[in-house]
Amino acid sequence: MSISTYNGAAIIAMSGKDCVAIGCDLRLGIQNQTLATDFKKVYKIHDRLYLGLAGLATDALTLNQRFQFKHNMYKLREERNMKPATFAHMVSKTLYEKRFGPYFVEPVIAGIDDDGTPYITGMDSLGAMETSKDFMVAGTAPNSLWGVCESFYRPNLGADDLFETISQCLLSGVDRDALSGWGAVVYVIAKDKSFVRTLKGRMD
Amino acid sequence: MASSGCLVSEQKPNGFDFDLCKRNAWLEKQGLQTLKPWSTGTTICGVVYKDGVVLGADTRSTAGETVADKNCEKIHYMAPNIYCCGAGTAADTENVTGMISSQLELHRFRTNRESRVVTSLTLLKSHLFRYQGYISAALVLGGVDCKGPHLFTVFPHGSTDALPFCTMGSGSLNAMAVYESGYKEDMSKAEAMELTKRAIRAGIFNDLGSGSNVDLCVITSEGAEYLRNVDMPNPRTFTAVPKPFARGTTPVLKSKELRVPSLESRVTIESQEGDVATAMDTT
Amino acid sequence: MAESAYSFSLTTFSPSGKLVQIEHALNAVNQGATSLGIKARDGVVIATEKKLPSVLVDKDSVKKIVQLTPEIGVIYSGMGPDSRILVRKARKAAQTYFMTYNERIPVAQLVREVATVMQEFTQSGGVRPFGVSLLIAGYDSHGPQLYQADPSGTFFAWKASAIGKNMTDAKEFLEKRYAEDMLLEDAIGAALLTLKEGFEGAMDEDNIEVGIVGKDHEFRCLSKSEIKDYLEEIL
Repeated sequence: MSISTYNGAAIIAMSGKDCVAIGCDLRLGIQNQTLATDFKKVYKIHDRLYLGLAGLATDALTLNQRFQFKHNMYKLREERNMKPATFAHMVSKTLYEKRFGPYFVEPVIAGIDDDGTPYITGMDSLGAMETSKDFMVAGTAPNSLWGVCESFYRPNLGADDLFETISQCLLSGVDRDALSGWGAVVYVIAKDKSFVRTLKGRMD
Repeated sequence: MASSGCLVSEQKPNGFDFDLCKRNAWLEKQGLQTLKPWSTGTTICGVVYKDGVVLGADTRSTAGETVADKNCEKIHYMAPNIYCCGAGTAADTENVTGMISSQLELHRFRTNRESRVVTSLTLLKSHLFRYQGYISAALVLGGVDCKGPHLFTVFPHGSTDALPFCTMGSGSLNAMAVYESGYKEDMSKAEAMELTKRAIRAGIFNDLGSGSNVDLCVITSEGAEYLRNVDMPNPRTFTAVPKPFARGTTPVLKSKELRVPSLESRVTIESQEGDVATAMDTT
Repeated sequence: MAESAYSFSLTTFSPSGKLVQIEHALNAVNQGATSLGIKARDGVVIATEKKLPSVLVDKDSVKKIVQLTPEIGVIYSGMGPDSRILVRKARKAAQTYFMTYNERIPVAQLVREVATVMQEFTQSGGVRPFGVSLLIAGYDSHGPQLYQADPSGTFFAWKASAIGKNMTDAKEFLEKRYAEDMLLEDAIGAALLTLKEGFEGAMDEDNIEVGIVGKDHEFRCLSKSEIKDYLEEIL
């Protein structure tokens, strides 16, 4: 048994034309027992920036609180929101501080810049960043998520088309994972609009 | 003197934080395996030529057997005249080079001189030695300073070598085979670049930990030239672009429009909407 | 513990509500060499006179304008040794910021960091306030910026300001010279003319220093030959 599969998670982020989407499954379990089916693993940092945390749920919740705190302090100090890249580096730094006693999470960050440029990045539990042009996944079934994304993704999709693509990837990606699923939620952020949709998925 | 400002109070002064070590050890004792950090299996190498140094790297990063990043950057900036290739745990190579590069910039401001390659070498090796190999960064450090071109390898435990050509990472043997057979003294820039490209390709094609593209960095006394993806020998062989799904394909239970994101970067401070507020609602 | 209990702050309120030590520190600044800065539409210039105590001093060893980050520079009036402490702390704060966010520190944030240090030295035991005022010039994502920080820890953003010996005259001169749509080139000229007012003796490229930062976000000191060219142009 691995710590990363203790609670179960599936997260995908995807970029489109002047928009990004980030989605997650809704299951929270303790090993094979399902505890909840409304556990969102994506957290809002601000209107244009979302953070997904896969891995050990207790660490994800703690880290989210720390990042909310840090972002609030930053806003008070600098009177501006963090840019996605700035936030990502701060997350990376926070994780690396605990290099020898890490939080067991894999963050995925999605947001758009001031000019609408999409920004997507993923990290390992020590904070090694991978900034991606297309998509990023994390969770208990990374291989099946990578697989669907590699085949379904196409660049420069608009917000509505991007929503369909990421949703299809997410739903089919978790279908072969016993530890994640039970519905999903997807956030889409574009220059001129933003929406969140709860998807109907298998409940087994 | 008390530490100043919120900037400082928000972060630990420096060094690592071992708070979670005990808990993590306990979790492991319960039979839970810890997470595998990303590593750069990696082929990295460097060679000294007539007027400078050429550094090379592949661009694959792996998490176990999975390719975590198909096109990552393994040649790190240290100073305008010094670059460093990293192999090992991705987070370690990234952070150790970043930290030393910051110290070099401070040192440059203080001394008003260009950084020397040996300075960065000494800073790197003493940091790595202090951590007794637990920071797993294997580096190829190259640069040109007032004393000419220099090339070093740095091992995770802190030992170093000064060499005319060197390789590191899981593909080091593949790359070294190319260097050993093709190295000449006083090569031209084009020869050195070509040889390094070939060395990295040997790693890309023969070592599973290495893959994708070739990055090069050429440093001379004139400055550094970072050549990202000079060689891309592994393009997608299947080029079909999938059709977008028809809108409405995905069954949606609930949909909610969110506030239109303001593209203004300045914010006014407001109370947070959401969880906290609803939790305090006592009606 | 026993020691610190007896180390009172030198800055204790006088009955009239003044902190006399801070005022004395300002006096130290006002005896220092004149420094000034002008914010133009496309950059900032800071300049100072470099008076040496004796002709025997090696001129080239003295540098008054220093860089804090690639895009921010600073000049002081007052006690040189005090300024070095602030410069060291400012550089470190800037590096810490960069290491955390991978983004260069905005000028306002760096100024706040420095000013916080200056304030601490007006309220801590066993220390005295800094005998310097600083002019900090930089160019960040919010555009060109010029700030002044005083021994009390007060700081303001300025369009143009002067500190040191000829502060009052220089400020008056700047008020007349300053124009909202000034370009960096004009600002350098205006800075030199202002410095020349009240300059004792002949002003040349050896006894002044000029630092600029423009749209390229690169702070740098003008070389002697550049200063010479500007001087020839305005005189």
